[in-house]
Amino acid sequence: MAATQSSYGERLPPPRTEVGALGWVRQNLFNSKFNAVLTIVSAAVIVLALVYGLRWIIAGADWTVIGVLGGQMVIGQYNTEAACPGQNCFWRPQVSLLLVSAMLGMAWAMAGGGVAKRLAIGVVIIIALFALLPYDFERMGMDVRLLLVANIPAMLVGWAIAHYTHMSGRGIAIYGVAAFIVTLALLRGIPGVPGLQPVLVIYWGGITLNLLLAVVGISLSLPIGIALALGRRSNLPVVKLLCVVFIEVFRGVPLITLLFMSQVLVPLAFPEDFNTNSLFRAGVIITLFSSAYMAENIRGGLQALHPGQAEAARALGLSAWQTTLLISLPQAIRNVIPAIVGQFIALFKDTSLVYIIGMLDVVEISRAFIQGNAQYLGNAKELFVFLALVFWVFTYTMSYVSQKVEEHLGVGGSPQATLARLGMEGNAAPNR
Amino acid sequence: MAQLRGLLTYQGIEVWRHTRILQWTLQIVSGIVVVVLVAWFFTNIANAVQDREIPHGWSFLDRAYQTPIGQHILPYESSDSFGYALGVAMVNTVVVSVVGVILATLLGIFIGVARLSSNWLVSKLAMVYIEFFRNVPLLVQLFFWFYIILALPPVREGYVIGEGLFINNGGFSMPFPSATGTGAAILWILLALAGLLAGRVVYQMLLARETNTGQRSYPLLGGLVTAVIIGAVTWVVISLASGDSPLIISSPHPEGRFGRIAGGFTAPAGMVVLLVGLVTYTASFIAEIVRAGIQSVRRGQTEASRALGLTPMETLRYVTFPQALRVIIPPLISQFLNLTKNSSLAGAIGYADLTNVAKTMTQTAPAVSIFLLIMAAYLAMSLTYSLIGNLYNRHIRFTGG
Repeated sequence: MAATQSSYGERLPPPRTEVGALGWVRQNLFNSKFNAVLTIVSAAVIVLALVYGLRWIIAGADWTVIGVLGGQMVIGQYNTEAACPGQNCFWRPQVSLLLVSAMLGMAWAMAGGGVAKRLAIGVVIIIALFALLPYDFERMGMDVRLLLVANIPAMLVGWAIAHYTHMSGRGIAIYGVAAFIVTLALLRGIPGVPGLQPVLVIYWGGITLNLLLAVVGISLSLPIGIALALGRRSNLPVVKLLCVVFIEVFRGVPLITLLFMSQVLVPLAFPEDFNTNSLFRAGVIITLFSSAYMAENIRGGLQALHPGQAEAARALGLSAWQTTLLISLPQAIRNVIPAIVGQFIALFKDTSLVYIIGMLDVVEISRAFIQGNAQYLGNAKELFVFLALVFWVFTYTMSYVSQKVEEHLGVGGSPQATLARLGMEGNAAPNR
Repeated sequence: MAQLRGLLTYQGIEVWRHTRILQWTLQIVSGIVVVVLVAWFFTNIANAVQDREIPHGWSFLDRAYQTPIGQHILPYESSDSFGYALGVAMVNTVVVSVVGVILATLLGIFIGVARLSSNWLVSKLAMVYIEFFRNVPLLVQLFFWFYIILALPPVREGYVIGEGLFINNGGFSMPFPSATGTGAAILWILLALAGLLAGRVVYQMLLARETNTGQRSYPLLGGLVTAVIIGAVTWVVISLASGDSPLIISSPHPEGRFGRIAGGFTAPAGMVVLLVGLVTYTASFIAEIVRAGIQSVRRGQTEASRALGLTPMETLRYVTFPQALRVIIPPLISQFLNLTKNSSLAGAIGYADLTNVAKTMTQTAPAVSIFLLIMAAYLAMSLTYSLIGNLYNRHIRFTGG
């Protein structure tokens, strides 16, 4: 018996070309003649791109322009003599950064690990590494470096506070609002307080300006968008009409046109003593523009919801408001998270358009620098490649976090999720 | 007290709890608030216009604009009117938008299909493309391309890519058909279009024969041959009749002491930058739409069609893609709209699009009127794309038969 089994039933290993690395290559790269050709062509493209790309990055490109621009990319003209005469104002945005780090720590404590933990630790380490930039102490003092490193303990303090006081999501939200108000007060300055001289908003700039506008836009466009979406779906004709007109007008016109319009029309439309500044105007326009898109995303989510949900809620005795707020909206928003995050990313990218009203965001300050310093004209490529990388890091982090949240909620990964995300800059709602 | 309560009830319910009354109150109040706000806005604008003696009204449209426009596809002189200048700028925007939409769709489909390739390397290359171009602001990308073009050699030393293809820091030149006599050219184009139509009819007839009888009828070949024959015959007839061929291909060539490029069609540098930027950016979104659309077709569809003996190409052409199209079209249309609206970034790189020209005009003409005009223009373009998209969408959607 044993002898026959060894002669007949001996199991041969699978052919070596079907398993392991070789098998993977055969299956994924050379499974047909056409694919073999494709593989060779794309490999050639990659090799060429790597060779020329690396050669340019290491030998061809001159990256000094980024070092020269340096702090201006972060904060614009905020710390110049004109903006902040007679003192160093750089600590003010840096203290705001500490508040953000603490908030990241709180988010980690609340989520208990996962992507929040990785994000908190990663961000503060990257910030701390900026303290090692090879500037001399004339241009980047010890105080600046210490405040950068202080982000690590700030994050840990935030974690400890949230962990030991069992902070809820609402607590973190309240902290966030408070931190935002403190940030504005710090950046704007308070008249009469020593060390906190007012700084005009025209000097605010750099990536700080982009982030500030993005935070305002993101936190306000979601509630306004929800209100607009509910208004558009309501059966009250006047309310519905107003919401439709608002949404379609803001979606039909380019943001840049709206921004420019605001610059020309707002001083005319409001009484002359009405205190407006370009930062406020940009914030309002970006928020309203984004709300219109957000409304359509949320409307798409509400439309996709089975009517049985609302009917069941009403049958159980919930009021119309309770049904909307507790049953319909949570499910609708959960289903369109990819689209909402996509809209957040679009909003962040759109903050670069404020150049049209003369604000010096990180892109405009770079362009203005190149235009004003002809000796760096040849290095514009390097500067904009670097800027692309900076924006990419922020936006990719956002989409990475969103993917993790989607996985957690079990809504991501499907073609519908991708489509929803792509509907973001247009109508996610199905055409009817 | 009871009397008061009686006064405040309607249909036996207190008014503050009566749904219909509450809803109407809400509507009336919100309506009044909006009307008052808008009226207040416009009164303020009107007052400001009067007080500060800012120009207003629509009479400026007939006045001479007297400002050069950087690039123009329609003929334009500085002495032309504001109204005509706006039209020139509108054409600049429309051309970029239409050419951009076509190129972005082609590139997007190509990358989207590559993203789905079973070839690991191709799929990952497409992914890198999508993730990069999608996540970087268009403005940064435009500036990058702008400074690349700026770094190109000047006109005289520009690169020659191929026969009649030049690229330099002035733009991109390529051969373009040019008419010898207008009448003959228009006549031939009309006849050639009729030929294409006839080719389509022949294609449909042969296709119907093939599906009905099962005989091989080569519908595609038949249709193409019909169109080409009609085009060629009318070409020869018109050439013989007028003594000259209706169209000649004009090839760009350096001319004169400064090597200015004459002939053909030269896309100015601003237009090239804008098109390259818009196309590569939008294509990354379209690629994701195409990928998601194809993935949304159930696997069983592909398997069934393969089991019926269709080749992979035929499966994609007749089974997968038509079904994916239903999912793809609505978000695709919104990408077309985005491309059109994003073309307003042209001002940053010195291309004279609608927004850019309007912005310059506000220095010498009433801003409010100009804004109303360009808002209407953008809304009209959006509506046109939406209309075409919705018509096509109705054409391809399930009819339930």
